Amino acid sequence: MSSPTTALITARDLTKKYGGHIALDRATFSVGTGRIVGLIGPNGAGKTSALRAILGLTSYEGHLRVLGREPFADRAAVMADASFIADVAVLPSWLRVDDAIDFVAGIHPRFRRDRANALLAQTQITGRRRMRELSKGMKTQVHLALTMAIDARLIVLDEPTLGLDILARRAFYDALVNDYMNESRTILITTHQVEEVENLLTDVIFIDRGRIVLDTSLDDIASRYAAVTVTEAQLGAARAFKPFYERRTLGRTVLYFERSEFEGPPFEQLDDFGEVLTPSVSDLFVAKLSGTSG
Amino acid sequence: MNHFVWLVKREFWENRAIWIVPAVIGGVLTLAALFGRVDIEYMPSPDHTRAIGGVVLFAFGFTFFAVMNLYSTWYLLDCLYADRKDRSILFWKSLPISDTWTVLAKLFTGLIAIPVVYFLAADVTTLLIAFIASVRAHPTVGDSLWQPDLWAQLQALWLYLIVTTAIWYLPFTAYLMVISAWARRAVVLWSLVPPLALCLLERWFFGTSRAGALLEHRAFGYLAAAFHRPVYADASTAVVSGARGFMTLDSVWRLLDPLEFVTRPATWIGVVVGSALILVAIQLRLRRTEI
Repeated sequence: MSSPTTALITARDLTKKYGGHIALDRATFSVGTGRIVGLIGPNGAGKTSALRAILGLTSYEGHLRVLGREPFADRAAVMADASFIADVAVLPSWLRVDDAIDFVAGIHPRFRRDRANALLAQTQITGRRRMRELSKGMKTQVHLALTMAIDARLIVLDEPTLGLDILARRAFYDALVNDYMNESRTILITTHQVEEVENLLTDVIFIDRGRIVLDTSLDDIASRYAAVTVTEAQLGAARAFKPFYERRTLGRTVLYFERSEFEGPPFEQLDDFGEVLTPSVSDLFVAKLSGTSG
Repeated sequence: MNHFVWLVKREFWENRAIWIVPAVIGGVLTLAALFGRVDIEYMPSPDHTRAIGGVVLFAFGFTFFAVMNLYSTWYLLDCLYADRKDRSILFWKSLPISDTWTVLAKLFTGLIAIPVVYFLAADVTTLLIAFIASVRAHPTVGDSLWQPDLWAQLQALWLYLIVTTAIWYLPFTAYLMVISAWARRAVVLWSLVPPLALCLLERWFFGTSRAGALLEHRAFGYLAAAFHRPVYADASTAVVSGARGFMTLDSVWRLLDPLEFVTRPATWIGVVVGSALILVAIQLRLRRTEI
């Protein structure tokens, strides 16, 4: 991970309880400037609670700084440098598209109207339409145009492409990386469609049952983890080196190893057992979560 | 300040009834004046037509005022609830506006902006009707409505009402906003439960009814606090005596009692209680994001 001095978000022992239910359990993580971080976890893992805390939408226990501020006490100041789309499109049904642009332009110091207009010009949406007259996908497009037109240092996207078809999704992520992202921007994104974002992420944070399971950069994944396709004959020998997860498919077995837990010959010698690959984010996610939960 | 203007504008976008309802009332009254019977066959003395003119102008103003109060109550109950219900609060909270400003903008809309819209609508309507009457009806009827001093008095009465009711009823206003920011459903029902429960519990456990008396004083003590005696001496003749009162320029001035209003402790106790409840509403807005 990046050094603490450039961290845009720092959480230490971040805890959120709802009555007796612990949604976030002493979560510690950080998000560095210029990174594209995927916050990944199964439903109910605490993703949304973490995002709500980061965005100043909920109170919490523990230490949390976003853009140098305490988000719950200072949400408005954080939002001057950040923008977010939470969950599905939640634009109010009575709002007209051009009123929405006027409003955000009037309120947000970093909003670029020309950019919003350019983004909307690529769609079928006209300015006088109210949100209730738009399809779900169109609403999302308006919301994305409003959010992407903000020159934010931090952009938080919670399932941003929910309700969009595959073409619109691809176009969104292409725009995110090519037009929006630069070294001064930071993106925190949650989605349950890991495959869709894994090619653009620089970092991943895995969360499960309120705890951070993994917080690493994609570069580190290559040096820390290995997925080895092992033949039946070699299985016993390979198992001795303590893989943290096994997956059987079509008569082959893939063993997942982590360097810190690895016991035996140098990590690189694993190719004696079979083909060694760096696990994809989604595979590692499955391996990590299945492995730790037994 | 610029933000505040946008926030109030947003309230007008969301709650189009703020201007549609008074426009409809004005439209209906104007249509009635256009096509209804505006003439009267019996021509009383000029003094009487003056009095009738006063009653008519007052009645128009009162119609708007009564509807406005109903609407404002609904607006205040809905204003911090609607965007939690449809989850659009997540969009509003993604913008750099503090919850304090949001709540204050809604308070301003309910207390000042809505009354001013109704006030203007009442003025435009009465002007239109006076004009129509002077064209369609007997000159005396028309003249009865063209009374600069009556107009001046109505303006003064409206502005005085807007300011004094905003101050006097601040505890109720703020209470409605607290319910609006707190309730997960059925805001109207929830707004009634706490005062009723308070009164009933007090009666059961202490056999007294001080809470009820307090609420009653706040609800009905306004006229006594802000006006001189003639208006409230006898409710059944209030309109009639009010009409007589409007006959001369100094009469409305004699009804208004700003000195009594600002020197009553109850006025300022209300302001303190109301302000405290506004702070509660802001805290709830901060914490209650979704239903």
